[in-house]
Amino acid sequence: MPSILEPATKPKRTVKKETRWNDDLAPTYYVICWNDPVNLMVYVTHVFMKIFGWNRQKAEKQMLEVHEKGKSVLIREGAEKAEFYVHQLQNYKLHATMEPAE
Amino acid sequence: MKLVKQSATSWQYGLDANEANLLTLLLKEFPFTDLDPVNMSKTDQEPEAKEREKLLNESLVAHRNELKQSAESLLVPKKFKAQGNGMVMTVSSEERELLLQILNDIRVGCWNALGRPEKREPEITNLSAKENRNYGLMNVAGFFEHSLIKTEK
Repeated sequence: MPSILEPATKPKRTVKKETRWNDDLAPTYYVICWNDPVNLMVYVTHVFMKIFGWNRQKAEKQMLEVHEKGKSVLIREGAEKAEFYVHQLQNYKLHATMEPAE
Repeated sequence: MKLVKQSATSWQYGLDANEANLLTLLLKEFPFTDLDPVNMSKTDQEPEAKEREKLLNESLVAHRNELKQSAESLLVPKKFKAQGNGMVMTVSSEERELLLQILNDIRVGCWNALGRPEKREPEITNLSAKENRNYGLMNVAGFFEHSLIKTEK
């Protein structure tokens, strides 16, 4: 007689693999901030802290990368979230775009 | 412009008479420039990317209208109170963010109108009245942005 804790038929464990495969195929985007000579460095740092919740050290590092290398990849996200971040950055008048990651 | 007092939810700045006149003028007259369309991507040529770009530009138009309303709401007497020879401006954290966005809209808008120069100071002396105004506004907006942010810890 089977124990009441043990179901007579056990579910098969094959469904998750397909879901994960679909997630892997979803396109991702880099959110990039581009350098310009008009936005103040303190302002760019402030905006990064505000939008991404980064601490000052991380925000300044990314800001300096924008300043010195001409651009910085800020984050890699799915389409919807990348679009959201570009809108936020553009509301602050930073030059930000989203580019396909692959 | 100096930070006088800061709490968890509000910021108080002291402005001398000239600064108060300039800042209230910027808020009264905002916006100073047309809104330039922006790109959503430099490389993505997919139809979705064009749709996203259209949405972004529509959203930026709506956002500027919101900023204009915010600029008007910042001009109410309870935000600016006379004190000595100057004024004290009290804003919430949210209003401070909107003020920063208004100021940077002025700054970047004037820079765009000037043809996106590499240097923030004019390289020629015979500027038109409009160019002079744009350089002036760009630098004044930058001054206030810097003053608002520099006190952050």
